[in-house]
Amino acid sequence: MKALTWGTRSRLACVAVVALGTLAGCGKEALPPQALVSARQAYQDAAASPAAELAPAKLDTAKQALTQAENAWQEDPKAKEAETLTLAYIAERRALTAQALGEAAKARQDRVKLDEEYMELQEKRANMTAEELERVRERLAITSQKAAQSEAELEKERAARAEAEKKLSAAVASLAEMASVKEEARGMVITLNGAVLFTTGKYELLPIAKSKLDEVAKALQEQGFKKIVIEGHTDSRGNAADNDKLSERRATSVKDHLVSQGLDASKIQAVGLGASRPVATNDTPEGRANNRRVELIVTN
Amino acid sequence: MTRQTMFVTLAAVLGAAQLACGGAAVPHQEMATAQAGVRAAEVGGAAEHPQAELRLKHANEKIAAAEALIKDGDNETATLRLREAEADAELALSIAQQEQAKKEAEQALKRIKVLMQEARS
Repeated sequence: MKALTWGTRSRLACVAVVALGTLAGCGKEALPPQALVSARQAYQDAAASPAAELAPAKLDTAKQALTQAENAWQEDPKAKEAETLTLAYIAERRALTAQALGEAAKARQDRVKLDEEYMELQEKRANMTAEELERVRERLAITSQKAAQSEAELEKERAARAEAEKKLSAAVASLAEMASVKEEARGMVITLNGAVLFTTGKYELLPIAKSKLDEVAKALQEQGFKKIVIEGHTDSRGNAADNDKLSERRATSVKDHLVSQGLDASKIQAVGLGASRPVATNDTPEGRANNRRVELIVTN
Repeated sequence: MTRQTMFVTLAAVLGAAQLACGGAAVPHQEMATAQAGVRAAEVGGAAEHPQAELRLKHANEKIAAAEALIKDGDNETATLRLREAEADAELALSIAQQEQAKKEAEQALKRIKVLMQEARS
């Protein structure tokens, strides 16, 4: 809009000069606006760059230089041509300077952040949890994206996948004390020790069981699954009907908790199998303890 | 375009001749400022970055042009060239600083990547 106004002015001035019979005046005047247009553009670019926030003083200097050039040209386009050109030349470079310094400040900020992250990372490296690792990696992926987008995207995807696998194995490892994981023909079977999950005769999950199940839920969520069958099992003591009911309620408790952590309820089935499928003898306390269990059969 | 360029050159020459008669003082101050700017850009590593080097080259050319103009007695035009040279030199330094800062940020990023890789394995 502004440029159009200048153009119009310029043309008008040309016409006036031609009317006076000096063709030369036109050529002389056509140029300053061009140099000014470059300077204006450079200033606009700089004003829209990080310079506005990070190098405001330099940007202001650029603005003043531009104003000087505009004034010189406006004052007397013909007489001040050489000076106008120089002022426009300087204005453009001042704007580019402001922009470069803004970008430099931005890069320095990035660098400080990255250095902090590095220190933080080094400190936490030994005892870094999978979650923190993921967080840092995400931030890293974002920064990489700026540097090399396509490369960063690939890396991010790779990192996310590696991370999901790592989390799952970490969750499984932390489960080791209370559970076992086996690859079987029917799928990946996670066996949870009943004593850790529930108190005798009850079907409400113990707090420690909840926190462990949260980790499992998170890992499953990331890894993805087709279906999970949750089986509740008891030992052979007591009557069969009670055992069936209790084992189903326990399986349902586990299901409800996984669902509360965001897993898709429609893909999870809870069944109570009572004492029908012992994995050990019911004649010893140890055997009975092994039989009291909840199994998660995960299929991909 | 060619005619226009020719005309501008001619106009500049005529203008310069006219200004020379005006008898402006030799721009010592501007010369010193422009030269100091060039030195600062050189010390700031402008020669190591192509874009900065280009601006540095412009600055040096403008200073050389100004020296020739001063010799011819056209101090006024020389002053303009020197002011332009100073702006070019400042830009050269800024670009060098930008490139340096970018390089350092990239190195910091690389360092983290290496650490992440170590942590993963």
